[in-house]
Amino acid sequence: MRRIPARAWVGLALLGGLGALSFLAGRVFPEVLADTCPLGRDPSRPDRTVCELAFGGLWVSLAIGLAAGALSTGLGLGVAAVARLVGGVLERWVMRLSDAFFALPDVLVVMVLQLAGQSLSDAGSSAGLGPFGLMVVSLALVGWAGPARMFRNRLDTLEGQEFVAASRALGGTGPHLLRVHLWPSLRPFVLAVFLSRLPAAILAESTVSFFGIARMEPMSLGRYLGTSYAALIYEGGTRVVIPAWALLVLLVLGASLASQALASGPRRA
Amino acid sequence: MRQLLLRVGRQLVLVPIVAVASYFLMASLPLTTEDDNKRQVSPELAASYRRDLGVGEPLGFLRPWQKLFRGERLGTSAQGVTGDELLLKLSGSVGVGLVALVLALVWALAFALFKNRWRRGRLAVMGDAVPAVAFGTPVFIPALLLAPAVVERGNLLPELTAAFVISLWPGIFLGTLLGDALETELARDYVRTAASKGLPPGVVLRRHVLPNVLPALLDAIGPVATALLAGSFAAERVFGLPYFGQLYVLAVLQKQVAVVVVATTVFASVLVVVGLTVEVVRLLVDPRAREARA
Repeated sequence: MRRIPARAWVGLALLGGLGALSFLAGRVFPEVLADTCPLGRDPSRPDRTVCELAFGGLWVSLAIGLAAGALSTGLGLGVAAVARLVGGVLERWVMRLSDAFFALPDVLVVMVLQLAGQSLSDAGSSAGLGPFGLMVVSLALVGWAGPARMFRNRLDTLEGQEFVAASRALGGTGPHLLRVHLWPSLRPFVLAVFLSRLPAAILAESTVSFFGIARMEPMSLGRYLGTSYAALIYEGGTRVVIPAWALLVLLVLGASLASQALASGPRRA
Repeated sequence: MRQLLLRVGRQLVLVPIVAVASYFLMASLPLTTEDDNKRQVSPELAASYRRDLGVGEPLGFLRPWQKLFRGERLGTSAQGVTGDELLLKLSGSVGVGLVALVLALVWALAFALFKNRWRRGRLAVMGDAVPAVAFGTPVFIPALLLAPAVVERGNLLPELTAAFVISLWPGIFLGTLLGDALETELARDYVRTAASKGLPPGVVLRRHVLPNVLPALLDAIGPVATALLAGSFAAERVFGLPYFGQLYVLAVLQKQVAVVVVATTVFASVLVVVGLTVEVVRLLVDPRAREARA
């Protein structure tokens, strides 16, 4: 049984705690936050308290991060697996394509994809994707390249091991090797990559939402911060920004701790 | 040299791919409907954008570039852009990015040295806490916090503040890499030998350790330079700087599709130039890179 590093537990506990807190406070008992928030009401939305908006935004950001992280990790894994199974020229070109994709800045590409998706949505041909689905798909289309490169390199390393060579010599096919021999060793790395995509997706979504390009409802943390900008010019306006920022930092901290610890954790002998 | 040209060639391929992909994506957008959605453009504007894109014309995908080279305005009169204006805005963003890169290198060196010092004391946790806070802070948050001082009260130069804001997380990121490299290098025999011969620690660091450590930064500087340029979008928006990032965000918000095509391609070209510059600098400063390619 693989021992999960303590830092990973801390990160996962932080993520789980924030998720549970945002679910309970923002969804199950919203009236508690409405009545007891020490930070008062939001100047631009006087019907809601700062706590309601921050924890509601945290729930949306977390959901987007989890969905986009899972989708981009799945896409990257699929691309890497197919590239390794086929090999040769296809593998080289697929990896070059992923490198080219990786060189483009996330935020810029997500903005273009949002523009395209929203235009399709306005014209009634968005294939049922709402703002949430559109953002998740945009982030996944941007975020698959990094995981694909990492999985391909990890598969390449794992395939060099003796037991894989032995299985191949005994007639094991590519899919068999992948499913039976490589997947168990790859699984923790997949989890680490997924957790590393989580903050990247949340930060990219926050920035795009901050620009006012995404139409997320209820608002994510990024959109909340973007629409609260005017509050800063008033005395004490920072109370609107600080809680959402703190939640964003904790979210990224949890995911980063867990991801780094799992990626560099002890390996099975 | 051959490998360098090969890598540059591979990066150059990115520019026409981005140009063609963004053109056909924008040209295929359904930009008008009959409903009253305020985000929709009017039929007249949609027709103007399609003229900009040369939709339906032979070699229509060259139309935006033709207009720019002729000095004509791309997009609508108020929010469009000419080639000269585009270059001016780009130079503004690149200028802010370059100042930010210098600042990021300063933060990197400072953080690496502090991390090395903290390693042995009670402040060791700062080595992990500072990167966590920096990586979890999108550029727009420090920009928002400084915005009242800069925009409302005019206390600070907006360009310099934007450079400061966007240099923070890349600086800490580079500092983390530099700190790890520094730790490895300081444990080597030649450092002990130099110290045992009586050289002061500062001299050992400056003359012997840093020249060996700095090339390690070059691998990360390419992506960081990209992040600095892209990061300036948010800072420009908050501080109201009329440069490339502001143009790009407004073009997307106002569905100025031809401007989006041109700006995306220009940005991809800038990334290629950044990649090329990093490769050349690496050849100049790192003898190991020259020997590897010889």
